[in-house]
Amino acid sequence: MDEETRIGVYICHCGRNIAEKVRIDELLDFAKTLPNVTVVRDYKYMCSDPGQKLIAEDVEEKGINRVVVAACSPTLHENTFRNACRRAGLNPFLFQMANIRELDAWVTESVEDATEKAKAFLRAAVNRVALHEELEVGKTKINPNVLIVGGGIAGISAALVLAEAGVKVYLVEKEPTIGGNMAKFDKTFPTLDCAACILTPKMTAVKAHSNIELLTYSEVEQVEGYVGNFRVRIKKKPRYVKEDLCIGCYECVEDCLFAEPMFPSEFEMEIGKRKPIYIPFPQAVPLVPVIDPNTCMWLTAKKCPQYCREACEPDAIDFNMGEEYADVEVGTIIVATGYKPFDAARIPQYGFGKYENVYTSLQVERMLNSTGPTGGEVLLANGKKPERVAIVHCVGSRDENYNRYCSKVCCMYSIKLARLIKERTGAEVYNFYIDIRAAGKAYEEFYKKAMEEGVYFIRGKVAEVTDIAKSEEEKGKLVVVAEDTLLGRVRRIPVDMVVLSVGLEPQEDVDRIRNMLKLSCSADGWLLERHPKLAPVSTAAEGIFIAGCCQGPKDIPETVAQAEAAAGEALSLIERGEIELEPNISFIRRERCSGCRICIGVCPYGAISFDEEEKVAVINPALCRGCGTCVAACPSKAAQQHLFMDEEIYAEIEGVLL
Amino acid sequence: MDISEMFETYFERLSEVAESEKYKQCLQCGTCGGSCPYGIASPFTPRKMILALRAKLIDEVLESGAQWLCTSCYTCSYRCPSQIPLTDAIIPALRELSLLEGNPPEELAAALMNTARYGNPFRESPRKRDSWVKEVEFEVPLISKKGDVDVLFIPECFGAYHRRCREITKALAELMYLIGIDFAILGNEERCIGDLTRLSGEFGLFEDLMEKNIKTFEKYSFNRIVTHDAHAFNALRREYPKAGFEKDVLHHTQLLYENLDKLKDMFNELDYTVTYHDSCYVGRRNGIFEEPREVIKAIPGVKFVEMKRTRENALCCGGGGGGVWLDSFIRNYLKERPAEDRVKEAASVGANVIVTPCILDVPMFEDALKMTGLEGELVVKDISELVLEAIKG
Ligand SMILES: Cc1cc2nc3c(=O)[nH]c(=O)nc-3n(C[C@H](O)[C@H](O)[C@H](O)COP(=O)(O)OP(=O)(O)OC[C@H]3O[C@@H](n4cnc5c(N)ncnc54)[C@H](O)[C@@H]3O)c2cc1C
Ligand code: SF4
Ligand code: SF4
Ligand code: SF4
Ligand code: SF4
Repeated sequence: MDEETRIGVYICHCGRNIAEKVRIDELLDFAKTLPNVTVVRDYKYMCSDPGQKLIAEDVEEKGINRVVVAACSPTLHENTFRNACRRAGLNPFLFQMANIRELDAWVTESVEDATEKAKAFLRAAVNRVALHEELEVGKTKINPNVLIVGGGIAGISAALVLAEAGVKVYLVEKEPTIGGNMAKFDKTFPTLDCAACILTPKMTAVKAHSNIELLTYSEVEQVEGYVGNFRVRIKKKPRYVKEDLCIGCYECVEDCLFAEPMFPSEFEMEIGKRKPIYIPFPQAVPLVPVIDPNTCMWLTAKKCPQYCREACEPDAIDFNMGEEYADVEVGTIIVATGYKPFDAARIPQYGFGKYENVYTSLQVERMLNSTGPTGGEVLLANGKKPERVAIVHCVGSRDENYNRYCSKVCCMYSIKLARLIKERTGAEVYNFYIDIRAAGKAYEEFYKKAMEEGVYFIRGKVAEVTDIAKSEEEKGKLVVVAEDTLLGRVRRIPVDMVVLSVGLEPQEDVDRIRNMLKLSCSADGWLLERHPKLAPVSTAAEGIFIAGCCQGPKDIPETVAQAEAAAGEALSLIERGEIELEPNISFIRRERCSGCRICIGVCPYGAISFDEEEKVAVINPALCRGCGTCVAACPSKAAQQHLFMDEEIYAEIEGVLL
Repeated sequence: MDISEMFETYFERLSEVAESEKYKQCLQCGTCGGSCPYGIASPFTPRKMILALRAKLIDEVLESGAQWLCTSCYTCSYRCPSQIPLTDAIIPALRELSLLEGNPPEELAAALMNTARYGNPFRESPRKRDSWVKEVEFEVPLISKKGDVDVLFIPECFGAYHRRCREITKALAELMYLIGIDFAILGNEERCIGDLTRLSGEFGLFEDLMEKNIKTFEKYSFNRIVTHDAHAFNALRREYPKAGFEKDVLHHTQLLYENLDKLKDMFNELDYTVTYHDSCYVGRRNGIFEEPREVIKAIPGVKFVEMKRTRENALCCGGGGGGVWLDSFIRNYLKERPAEDRVKEAASVGANVIVTPCILDVPMFEDALKMTGLEGELVVKDISELVLEAIKG
């Protein structure tokens, strides 16, 4: 640019926020002494319309061609002022902000110091802005397809909203069926409506929808690219049954070499049994069996006449199936991978795995379910109904030895289980709790109802479960020992059955997912939202959203709300059609590049390749995310980043130090 | 002291124990009370102690005597969901106040007084500390004579003076002799290590003992300390390093395990059904679970059975934290003492030998056998006694 540099400086009072700490008059006088500064003004609120107009007027009337605003943090208003420049006909990147609020007025004790600091920041900004170049904002098209990872109620809900809006959805589920944890329940709080009645129609709708491509028994293996343009590789594990041919008739399962189911069923939480060829539950989607390679006699030992294959009319069984890969392209991704239940065996004093009548809550959910292993009855190991049941809250939650956080849903589901057990067996039920967390629409009422029905609530975390009897009454029973903290006495309650209300934990493979998608997670391992209040389903990665329990423990209503919000966010991007890319990306000054390739190794986004002909590194602007790692790593100063050029940074540093 | 002075003293002590600030995060969940062997009888469970502290009712706790209803078994600390150091801080700091107020249970007061005066709680002469050496047929060298050794063996007070526990000391010394371990003892230079003192609330005396002992250790050249006193082991391993002591400390179960191959060659068959008691300071507190089991299982002929409460969840014998001197005090509160409960459990799983790794267990359990009438059915042996028996046939 040949024209003379003419900088306009605008100092904001931010009401009293800045003005009460920084002497504005002194700062104005100081600004006038800085090189290239042509106009200096102050205003009560620069971000207001009249404030922004000041800039436009000066561009027009005074020929200002660079702008510095000394005000708050750029995260708050950088875009406001960039847009003001743009409207005034100035390239928005010929602008710089000096943060004299968060970094100065709010944190500096004396007016003296605050004013000096403001001068330093201002000088740095003026120095720097003089070197800024005009930059163009790149644009990229948004591929309208969406990938959803995880087919629990969150993934299902998001998929249906998107598909109804005409968007193509790839729904990837690692288990043989969709449905997630909700599919295991009999009834759901707080309404006690049947889980299957509300879930199954949604599951079949997913299967039937022409816009949804369902990939079960599959996992996302690799994700490349960036918002709008992700390339995804999906691994399909071999089911040994062809989905397109199978009609779900169960003939193969019936005729399997193993006449009786004899292997612990994963879906039944190990309290039910299955054959090597099985359908997890009658409403599974897709209703197609899967053959377990670890128990099938053909797949383990080649010792079976393959009765299943003989039985299959449409010839769907195929033992030659191997892993298959599908490559798809999408513009946005929704992660809905849910949770895993806490492993109760980690707390040995509760006796899970040691006493046969100690169960986890999910096992009891299966017992209560009429399609479960006991046909909907709550039964002891000996087949009898329990007369007394203890429900232990907070198993693995609110406990620094395991998980610090409250799992949020277990109070409510424990109350639900208490009511259902009482209804089905007539047993006396004792809930042992630390606090009852029943904050939700109609939740407190649900709790009161349980009390009204005669469920006992004892305030005390269970210390141990034992079968060592100390009295006649305790003989042959499980004894639950807890300090009744309201009564102020240690109590021993003999029961027939103990239910452990296990907490929720992040999935086993959450780190793999996180690294693959470049997401962050909280200290507890839950995927991290961009802002806990104002951006709850967005993530640090543009175009990737989270929904349901992968973000933290929550119940079904909240899960569905998040899922639909995530679908909405995805739709908003798709509707926009294209997005602007930040221009602060890196580039290689070819003449300086020595061809050492160091930058290629450090780039976390795989954006740098090597030009074999010219023997220099090349950055793909579409892939670069402007992280600056290559700039720092390049020994030849060949890698540079727009808006963070060496000269700009040095000028800024000098400004602060002088 | 008036209440505010009590508070000041209390919180000053608390501030010296790591993590004790966490008491502020107590959930009042009662895990501690339900887990405590005395919870059913105590007027102030650890939870209620914290509640009382919050309500500034510290005097009521002290008057109730609840601070002495603790055997320092660490079960509450181990299970507390807020990881509050109840056993190391909340309770002993109350005991300290009680000592300052001058009303601890008599037996315990005497033991502490003796420790301060004689370096042992039995009021025995320090010169008699190594008198057991004359009762064995092999040589037990003094480190002051022998110079450089691999192992410094610490029998500690019970192992040196207590009639029954001396048998264990002699058995372990003989094992070391048979294995060919290069070891020596301090003789009458040895002094109480002091863990029971610390947990009884005599923090000052403990620090004094620790300082003196470290000085003694520094005089000699050895690689590691071995002791069969689980409480001494705990203090040497966890407390002494805070005062700059840096040597390796081994519990005798670890030493035996380390030499298992040699021992195996010497073993003869034993026709016992053995169960193993995980002592608090070996198991729950210091994580030694497998080594003793491996040693026992290696003895041919032995049938090994587990009790119901094992490992981290084993029931305390009741001897820790000054419990050996609180017997009559505790009887005022509790009908069945933990040791009695425990031997019944051992008998119920069909054992005829209960093997223990902590020196206090043996007198505690032998007494309990008498009280429960199980004397004919069950015997108590320290692991070194069992191993020696397997060797000698
Ligand atoms: C015992 C119990 C009872 C409950 N009762 C109720 C109740 O009555 N009412 C209520 O509102 N809430 C209840 N809840 C809470 C409820 O389970 C959750 O709110 C709900 O299941 C969350 O749904 P989700 O889709 O986020 O996760 P999930 O149900 O966990 O589904 C996640 C899905 O993602 C899949 N997945 C995981 N990782 C991958 C991967 N890497 N690739 C592909 N797929 C993957 C999983 O296989 C699963 O299908 C209960 C919870 C428990 C433990
Ligand atoms: S091959 Fe044999 S064992 Fe395997 S699923 Fe078929 S019938 Fe069952
Ligand atoms: S929801 Fe209730 S049971 Fe679950 S962790 Fe929180 S307080 Fe405990
Ligand atoms: S176990 Fe810990 S948190 Fe619970 S009441 Fe006791 S001290 Fe408090
Ligand atoms: S350390 Fe043991 S005896 Fe002492 S309060 Fe805790 S649980 Fe009770």
